[in-house]
Amino acid sequence: MTLAELSARCGLEAVAVPDGTVAVSGAYTSDLLSDVMAHCPDGAVLVTVQNHTNTVAVCTLVGAPAIVLVHGREVPEEMRAAAAREGVALLRTRDDQFTVSCRLGAVLGVGARCAGDGEPAAGTV
Amino acid sequence: MSEAPQTGASAAGDAEAAHEGEPLVLTELIQRLKVRDVMTRELSTVSRAATMRDVQELMRQKKISGVPVEENGRFFGLVSIDDIIRALGGGYIDAPCSRHMTTKLVVLEDDMPLSFALRYFDRYHYGRFPVLNRDRRLVGIVCQRDINRALLVELAHELNRLENATLQAADKASARSVHVLREIPVCRYDFENAGKAANQIKRVLQERQFPPKLIRRIAVAAYELEINLCVHSDGGVLSWRVSNGRAEIIARDAGPGIEDVEWACRDGTSTANEWIRSLGFGAGMGLANVKRVSDEFEITSQKGSGTTVRAVVNIGELTV
Amino acid sequence: MTILEVAEALGAEVLVKGEGCGRAIRHVVASDLMSDVLLVDEDDLLLLTSLASDQVLRTAQIVGAVGVIVVNGKPLPSSMVNVANDLRMTLVTSGRSKFDACVGVAAALKAP
Repeated sequence: MTLAELSARCGLEAVAVPDGTVAVSGAYTSDLLSDVMAHCPDGAVLVTVQNHTNTVAVCTLVGAPAIVLVHGREVPEEMRAAAAREGVALLRTRDDQFTVSCRLGAVLGVGARCAGDGEPAAGTV
Repeated sequence: MSEAPQTGASAAGDAEAAHEGEPLVLTELIQRLKVRDVMTRELSTVSRAATMRDVQELMRQKKISGVPVEENGRFFGLVSIDDIIRALGGGYIDAPCSRHMTTKLVVLEDDMPLSFALRYFDRYHYGRFPVLNRDRRLVGIVCQRDINRALLVELAHELNRLENATLQAADKASARSVHVLREIPVCRYDFENAGKAANQIKRVLQERQFPPKLIRRIAVAAYELEINLCVHSDGGVLSWRVSNGRAEIIARDAGPGIEDVEWACRDGTSTANEWIRSLGFGAGMGLANVKRVSDEFEITSQKGSGTTVRAVVNIGELTV
Repeated sequence: MTILEVAEALGAEVLVKGEGCGRAIRHVVASDLMSDVLLVDEDDLLLLTSLASDQVLRTAQIVGAVGVIVVNGKPLPSSMVNVANDLRMTLVTSGRSKFDACVGVAAALKAP
């Protein structure tokens, strides 16, 4: 699924989307950047409340194409600039993490997969 | 070598006056507690026929530094580590202990108040005292560790009792409003304990059956302020008071102070480092959160000196 | 639905059964920032978090949560079970990521 499609179907606000055609393979929800570094799968959008430059840096490292900021949090100018520089898309929702995660899960079709078995996280930090 | 052990009467005499300036609770406690309440009753003893080497072995096994010499409750003397060292040096380690034990001893009686024992430790610099009963039978031994342990346990009981008594007295004093006042110190980066005060506040208010919505607002304010002290200050005090229709929480610290108070109170602004963020704090919502749940909010701070935050939640005419 | 039923649906492990474990979940919060959790005004909430610390439990007690599910299969500090017992807070751990746990909890809550 493309980022643009996912964003539209989940009703996300596009704060800055340099390329809507990038493929999204999943989602990862976390406010702990060390966890994101350790576990965020390649190609997943990051759902977080962390509205700062470090979030962009971590996304670049793990290959997450987009950040979904929850609670309609403000995007600081430095974060916007960093995201533009690194080619990371910034999306936003007024909803909370749980709600938007569920919506993303439904659209991405992960519900069926994860109702069965969980994925134990390997080598936690 | 057969002198009877004596109790130090002169030391006992001035024990009474020795505790001026102590909190009343402590004075009362060390008078009320008897030596028998703190002494060790399970004794490792030897008979007079045991050799100094036997005593040394017993000390090693039991990890003790003094062994009473006793037969059927009759107390003859004490062998200390010093005695053993002298025996080793003097080449009489295989001699019977009755010949080399210390007999000029100061002993305690089991029904003496603890204050006497404390005074003895001050005065005589011995590591331990044998304890005899009225019939001059050996019933125990007291070392400073026994006293420390007993005092801590008793003080904890006493503080609990006093706290409850204070709360009950406050309840009785006013049927229409609740008076509670607590002060809790908060240390910098003590994440293990941060939040305990707020948990306690919530519990007290729940016990008094405050409405859940109010409890939550008061607890949230207390928690955020407590975490703030822990994360951002050099340490401070969280105090809270419930009286006259108001719940008031005050966080006071001695530094380092906030340069731009208005900025610090805005949503999402923070000076916390990555390490603190990794603990789930420092997202910059703390003060804004306190403001949100409070009816009155006031912050005074100066760079280089301390910060005081006052949050008030109106509780109206609550009865307990 | 209670946190115990949710835990079963997720295949998660219940470490401490607290006083809220029999209450029906009325709201779910997923967050790793405790200040964020304190902003929530709902009662009987379930907290999903990838933060494994005593503070999670203290925060949960403040907001009157029915319990906490720590995700990502994080090894918990040994103090957590003691604090949970002390605060009578239900504590559950799950090997799922928080995202998967959110989806799983939503599915469980919707299930008849």
